[in-house]
Amino acid sequence: MSDMRVLLIIPCYNEQGAIASLLKEITACGGYETIVVDDGSRDASYETASRVSPTIRLLRNLGIGGAVQTGIKYAERNGFDFCIQIDGDGQHPPGEIVKLLQAYVETRCAIIIGSRYLHNDTFRSTWARRRGSQTIAWVLNSLFPRCCVTDPTSGMRLMDRKAIELFAQHYPHDFPEPISLAWALKEGFSVGEVAVKMRARTQGNSSIIGFKTVTYMLRVLGYIVLARLTRSDPR
Amino acid sequence: MYTISLQTIILVAVFAFGYLFFITRKTARQQLDLYDLIMLSTVAIVPGIFVAFPTIAFWLSNIAGVQFPFVVMFGILFVFLFVFVYRLTIKLHILEADNRLLIQEISLLKQTTEQPDGKRMAKRAMNRDAPVGVDD
Repeated sequence: MSDMRVLLIIPCYNEQGAIASLLKEITACGGYETIVVDDGSRDASYETASRVSPTIRLLRNLGIGGAVQTGIKYAERNGFDFCIQIDGDGQHPPGEIVKLLQAYVETRCAIIIGSRYLHNDTFRSTWARRRGSQTIAWVLNSLFPRCCVTDPTSGMRLMDRKAIELFAQHYPHDFPEPISLAWALKEGFSVGEVAVKMRARTQGNSSIIGFKTVTYMLRVLGYIVLARLTRSDPR
Repeated sequence: MYTISLQTIILVAVFAFGYLFFITRKTARQQLDLYDLIMLSTVAIVPGIFVAFPTIAFWLSNIAGVQFPFVVMFGILFVFLFVFVYRLTIKLHILEADNRLLIQEISLLKQTTEQPDGKRMAKRAMNRDAPVGVDD
């Protein structure tokens, strides 16, 4: 495991206030290679990040899915064994990354989710957000018998080489976290979880607010059901 | 015997010819393709047929069980419109996916060529993947 190459994928959009301190924290943790994917920020996120880490600047804003998939493609082409996605807003403490790697060693699941809700009540979320996440988790766990997740919307996750290869080809572009899990489960990948601590958001706001919450749920649940009903792609 | 007034015939004929001339010119200038021309021209052709052969309109409305022939006409136009929109939606999704892919590929390429760190990492990965015995 020690000779395995791990890449941290950090998607960011207008995170100039948080990205520098996050990268500094990662450097302090040591040993990780990083790729920041700037999703067409209008502030100085790219300039700030590129001083410290290899950074890809997307020419247009593609959304979180497009940004993460770009990072996954980078990992695939540069021969990384694992990639770990963490948010550029500093919500995911780099110190928790080691838990994901340990969980991989123990379970060998292709995807390990850093869960806010598994044996962990330190993370405070809104009631609606938590219920929404629980509903998605319940649908996933019901439709895919091998799946047992508590936090399908978590943006902190580890992917092994097989998952990297899958997601480099196919990755959802809107609301990708839960939908990508369904796609991976459909392909027969195993998904595990480990409890991690997350911080409250210090910069920016969630993009899922108001009426978008309804469209989010409909879209996510629809894609999960579709994934269950359709056959896996022969690869 | 079903009859159509002269005013209606003139009105539909003027619209049909004007509209067909307009979209044919657009096609000739390659702003539309031949498929678009055929689909869009139904807006002129279907009312033209209904005016030229009003018996067909009444016959179809009797079969469909609707009272007014123009409902049948709009129904037929709606089918063409639906097929056209369906095809456009698929085309749009393909273009969207291609566009996304291109943006990702250009951005990745730009990063590899512009940032020395990216080059070094790529080179290291290439060396790692090289067969045993192949030197740097």
